[in-house]
Amino acid sequence: MLRAILGLFAILLVAPIVPGIANRVKSALTGRRGAPVLQLYADLWKLWRKGVVYSPTTSIVFRLGPAVLAATTVLATCLLPLDGATSLVGFTGDLVAFAGLLALGRFMLVLAALDTGSSFEGMGASREVTIAAFAEPALILCFTVLAMATGRLQLQDMLGPPLAQAWLAAAPSLLLGAASLFVLSLAEACRVPVDDPLTHLELTMIHEVMVLDHSGPDLALVLYAGALKMTLFGSLIVRVLVASVAVPAPVALVLLLGGLALYGALVGTVESGMARLRMNRVPQILVAASAIAGFGLILLLK
Amino acid sequence: MILFAVGLGLVLLAGALGWALARHPSAADRVFMWGAIAGCGVALVPAISALAGLTDASAGADVAASATGGLAFGIDALSAWFLVVVLGAGAGIVAFGVPYLGSDSRQRRVRVAHLLLSVLLAALAGVVTARSIVAFLACWEVMALAAYFLVIFDYEKREVWGAGMVYLVLTHVSTLALIGMFAACAPGGVGSRFEDLRQAAAAGWVPTGLVLTLALIGFGIKAGAVPFHFWLPGAHAAAPSHVSALLSGIMLKVGIYGLLRMLALLGAPPVWWGWVVLFIGLASSVLGVLWALGQHDLKRLLAYHSVENIGIILLGVGLGALGVAYHQPAVAWLGVTGALLHALNHALFKSLLFLGAGSVARETGTREIDRLGGLARRMPRTALAFLIGSIAIVGLPPLNGFVSEWVIFRALLGTGSAGGSLRVAAAMAVGLALTGGLALACFSKLYGVVFLGRERDASLERAGTADAALAAPQVFLAACCVAIAVAPWFVISAAARTARIVVPDVSAVPVGGAPLAGASWLTALSVALLAVVLALMGARRLALRGRARRSSPTWNCAYPATTARMQYTASSYADPLLVGFGALSGVRKVRAAGSVHTEPMELVLDRLARPFWNRLLRAAARLRPLQSGGMRWYVVYAILCLLGLLLYLRFVALS
Repeated sequence: MLRAILGLFAILLVAPIVPGIANRVKSALTGRRGAPVLQLYADLWKLWRKGVVYSPTTSIVFRLGPAVLAATTVLATCLLPLDGATSLVGFTGDLVAFAGLLALGRFMLVLAALDTGSSFEGMGASREVTIAAFAEPALILCFTVLAMATGRLQLQDMLGPPLAQAWLAAAPSLLLGAASLFVLSLAEACRVPVDDPLTHLELTMIHEVMVLDHSGPDLALVLYAGALKMTLFGSLIVRVLVASVAVPAPVALVLLLGGLALYGALVGTVESGMARLRMNRVPQILVAASAIAGFGLILLLK
Repeated sequence: MILFAVGLGLVLLAGALGWALARHPSAADRVFMWGAIAGCGVALVPAISALAGLTDASAGADVAASATGGLAFGIDALSAWFLVVVLGAGAGIVAFGVPYLGSDSRQRRVRVAHLLLSVLLAALAGVVTARSIVAFLACWEVMALAAYFLVIFDYEKREVWGAGMVYLVLTHVSTLALIGMFAACAPGGVGSRFEDLRQAAAAGWVPTGLVLTLALIGFGIKAGAVPFHFWLPGAHAAAPSHVSALLSGIMLKVGIYGLLRMLALLGAPPVWWGWVVLFIGLASSVLGVLWALGQHDLKRLLAYHSVENIGIILLGVGLGALGVAYHQPAVAWLGVTGALLHALNHALFKSLLFLGAGSVARETGTREIDRLGGLARRMPRTALAFLIGSIAIVGLPPLNGFVSEWVIFRALLGTGSAGGSLRVAAAMAVGLALTGGLALACFSKLYGVVFLGRERDASLERAGTADAALAAPQVFLAACCVAIAVAPWFVISAAARTARIVVPDVSAVPVGGAPLAGASWLTALSVALLAVVLALMGARRLALRGRARRSSPTWNCAYPATTARMQYTASSYADPLLVGFGALSGVRKVRAAGSVHTEPMELVLDRLARPFWNRLLRAAARLRPLQSGGMRWYVVYAILCLLGLLLYLRFVALS
């Protein structure tokens, strides 16, 4: 229990570093210096101390959106076994709650975007739900692979000790699952090739354009939730891969943090190597991610 | 049983009084409303006591039963569960229907509608408690006809009349299939009790495959499962909103009840039947929500979502059947429990949403989504209830829709460790996830375009006068959704006990695999979610103390002359997704000079059912010459018929 709480706080604390690493690596690989790794902390602190601007069009939904987004992301973190053995909250079928919590956060953020009455934010919301509709099946398919490989329906076991044994029997499926999760994580974390966090033109944005009207602490919550979500998906991948070696819990946490840094670097490398896809190609890459996990599932069914 | 009869009597009496007191409309309204609500309450007592386990309903025995002649009625846990659906949601719908029709100028018609509503409620309650074939079919037919007359409330309108006709034809195809079904399994004729049926099935006299196929057609039409759903969007959109709520929230569930009842009576179904139900469930859920996404009519959109939710329920039923057939009680128990839970939850949140749609339509005079907008400011209560209903129907935690989808997901994924060919079912979790993702898109569109943003039409400035009276029943239903979210334990345990009527032997299921496992964590999750959201809102407020809080128009890329019509619309919002699904989405893009709009089609009705019907009519026309009108020819037919029968007797029957 104590270890699980420690793990939770560690993740909540380091979350803003992960996108920082990704951006820094991308900068380095494209021959720029780039922002410091810890830049997001400074941004969050600055935003938190600022005032807010609200559009008279908006209602309570607009103010609720960022809070619900951040709350659901934090609660989803509680469902993961960050130390490799126990999660803070765990029950049978909690993988559905994981997916559901993230979906609730997205739902409220999308509603907040529509609440502004801006056509740009409507466009962002429309794109976000389009991507989400294809991302959700991919996530559940990855979870199905894990559930069938371990024979469990609880994230704590699906990503914990039973997974270590499953690696002996079903390594190819799990590798395919991890690959699918990586593609999915790029979509969920709004990174290239699905979305470009550094774009500056409203028409090319997805996630960024949805939060154009948020300011001050609201924007800080949105940015933090984004970083935490990226960290969450990174943790999922790292846990799936790290579980192939059984280690004691404190080591597992250290491995997780190290793995997250590597994950960030990998995302940065991918970003430096390719451009964003055309919008109508994005569902295809997510269907491809589902297909990868689907192959893993077929291997398990034989 | 006496309480139950008294309750139903009260509902009917209230309807009759409301009709008879036509001279004093307001008194009649009050008598009808409170009488019907009281009747529902009284009739609920035996149902709740059966569900709470106060009376022994464990072995599927009827808590209360009565029989006269061929008519037999009884309440076991399964009947009680659906009685709660019928009467609980029904009371809310009655409470909305009276003020909703209160200002209608056609008072005579309103009186008849109220009477029909009470007849429909009583017939629905009769269907789920019938214990003999004739009682079941009689109540079924009364239900179908009462619903028809309610659907054509606005019969002067052409599209209403047409939708009513499609419904009338389909509901009779359904009745026909059910008569065939009972004929195939009851050698004792229409007077047979369900108990005789059970014994005949146990003795192996019943052709289970044939009976269940007919059941799937008959009950599938009533439930609105793909491909039998095409009566549903038209009828739901045509009916007055509280009737749509009743059709969608309650009457569709009677089809589910029928399937579960037949499963309980016949025992283990054939394996292929389970797979068929599972695939129909999958198709209904994905296609239902996909077709909903393209709709522009508020009520048609909700109607397609009923197809989706029936699909989710059928996934549970299919898993239940497969679990029984493959001897996997854990899967079967979770599946049936999930189906029961989702049936109840859907009754609550879909009634709520249809009532909300009714409020919106009444206040604004339109059901066109693209003409609405910004209603959250004008109708705050309806907006809040609708938000709760939306979150619930998308299946997002912590609300009740999530509770039942959680159980069904567990059943689906649980097949993965079951072994054998049943494991393939685990892959269908991806379909349920796709359904969830599309539902999120659909309801963010609906809520965002209707309630948020700016008013797209100047006439909306006047909306919101009667919000309070119409909102009370919606708030009641929303409160039920929240209550299930906060304390899912009670509902899941009642559903799990009820499910044992269909899945009798669950002794082999480990505690961790029972439906109830983990239910208390759901409570913890909802409380934690609320706490964290409140904490973050509090922190934000603290951070904003002493800081500037400015109001400024929405950022529009520095373009000053924005109008409300520039907002994203229902069409543009759904476009990227619908394009991704191509022709399957059933949406046609119509381009004209300077404008483009989308037109949703009913693929099955327009592409399959109508061409089939027309071809049938053409084929029937070829038989016309037989109907010559000349008396001699008819005499010849009679003689030929007589001859044929004699020959049949001589050579077949008596040989």
